[in-house]
Amino acid sequence: MAPRVRKIAMYLVLYSIAGIALLWALLPVLWMLLSSLKTQAGMFSMPPKFIFKPNFDTFAYMFSERGNFTHFLTNSVIASGVSTGISLVLGTLGGFALARRKFKGEKHISFWIISTRMAPIPAVLLPLYLMFSKMGLIGTMTGLIFAYTTLNLPFALWMMMIFFKEVPVDLEEAAMIDGCSRFQAFWRVVIPPAAPGLVATGILCLMFAWNDFLFASVFSGHENQTIPVAATLLITQQGIAWGQAMATGTVIITPMVIAGLIVRKYLVRGLSMGAVK
Amino acid sequence: MRLDIKVNAYRKPLETAGTLVHGRRKKWSTEFWMLLPSMILLAVISIFPFLYMIYASFMDYSLSFDEPTFNGMKNWEKVLTNDTFWASWGRTAVYALCGLSLEMLIGVGMALLIYVLPKARNLILTLWMIPLFVAPVVVGLLGRFLLNSTYGLYAWLFRLIGVETEILGNVSTALPAIILMDVWEWTPLITMIVFAGLQSLPEEVLEAAEVDGAGYVRRLIHVIFPLISRTILLALLIRMMDILRFVDTIKITTEGGPADSTKVIGYHLMEVAFRFQDFGSAAALGLSMLVVTIFLGQQFVRFMRKGEE
Repeated sequence: MAPRVRKIAMYLVLYSIAGIALLWALLPVLWMLLSSLKTQAGMFSMPPKFIFKPNFDTFAYMFSERGNFTHFLTNSVIASGVSTGISLVLGTLGGFALARRKFKGEKHISFWIISTRMAPIPAVLLPLYLMFSKMGLIGTMTGLIFAYTTLNLPFALWMMMIFFKEVPVDLEEAAMIDGCSRFQAFWRVVIPPAAPGLVATGILCLMFAWNDFLFASVFSGHENQTIPVAATLLITQQGIAWGQAMATGTVIITPMVIAGLIVRKYLVRGLSMGAVK
Repeated sequence: MRLDIKVNAYRKPLETAGTLVHGRRKKWSTEFWMLLPSMILLAVISIFPFLYMIYASFMDYSLSFDEPTFNGMKNWEKVLTNDTFWASWGRTAVYALCGLSLEMLIGVGMALLIYVLPKARNLILTLWMIPLFVAPVVVGLLGRFLLNSTYGLYAWLFRLIGVETEILGNVSTALPAIILMDVWEWTPLITMIVFAGLQSLPEEVLEAAEVDGAGYVRRLIHVIFPLISRTILLALLIRMMDILRFVDTIKITTEGGPADSTKVIGYHLMEVAFRFQDFGSAAALGLSMLVVTIFLGQQFVRFMRKGEE
């Protein structure tokens, strides 16, 4: 009997530790969600209230004409969506080429790709800023999309290369013997098995662009501010509009949490650039 | 004739098969054209800026002048003899050291914990990784909200145990608070990476050790850790490079203050470039960051290739 009791006690301890860890991980997010649903007075009441009647005024205001939130949301969707699309198309084509073909200096090319992804953004930002201002791209949507693509393309290339390496070469060889061209074989035979990887790469690209603040704060003008930038506009000399800030935060993270959990299986590979299987 | 080509294509390795099906040898293969657009775009966004940064680092370059003028090593001298530069690197090092140790400790611990909990494994992992998706801006806003001395939830909890302080406004606690935000957001990544490593461990080895009567701790030290040490090191490298990139949360929470206590190198660069508009010095500063990142990146790639072979 004793070993059994010891085992139960051990699991009890382990589950409690996990519980505490989860509390630490989730409390801030939960608190943000709750705060966005509270009235102004309820938000600041001490001791804090966990049970209350939800109030959707903040969200209603944000999406009203004065809140202008739809505008920011549209900008975010366009900037991150278009740049993800470009990165995916180019990254899929290039990633396949990298996966299949032996190049001269292949190692240098792949190191170069990874270094563009890992380069410190503040350092990259500066020459891009100078380049963009010469080209008149500061404050334009094109500039922002271009900037996000610079961030996402190397990532997409690397990820797709890894996913394509897992598709057996025999498949294409068979298709080509049946009369497909190289590209047809790629399109009809290689893409379908790599599709889940494609979706995962896309979602991660989307997340990087959607969550970005630095590029958007430097490159975007008044007309094309994204939601993270809009969130910082709530920080003023007079203080922070906390109700709106929490509601904005909730809107920023909700789609990404859902999308991220969908591609959970690929997440590790994505965030570590395929380092670990 | 056609049949001939097909038979040939079947025998030859794939690279030549592609060109033979088309009946003639092509100088540029399909793959070349598939990769070309990406390479051009990458060159535009990486080689050009890199060369431009080297050029700018030798120029007196500010938006208020029309044309940058050559000023030799002045920017480099200014950057390298500047106390803020070294202090910022120092803070970045402290940040990386403290942040990474905590992230490693908690991250690896959680991975091992989740691995031994068979029932709730998926649920715990799913919930645990939610902070990964939170945008840095939101992390900053949340930090400010939770730590606010009058109505913050965490500040209130601190008050319960008798600690009352303005955490982000205090020179000695601002950086630790920022580090903890980083730990909050990125520890799950370490857990995920290590957990993936644990799942790919050969089960026979673990079972053999258990049959031999090794306790959990001994198995951990002698079997598990040696097998996942490479994975752990990779996670460390990835996070190290990411910490260099880090600016957003600081911008939202403290703007480098109070009294520069949270001014890490990335933030210092942003300030020199966009507040003081001294692009020449900022370029020199940026190159110093690039050198460190490229070194780390090389280690990363070396590690990965070792694993492939």
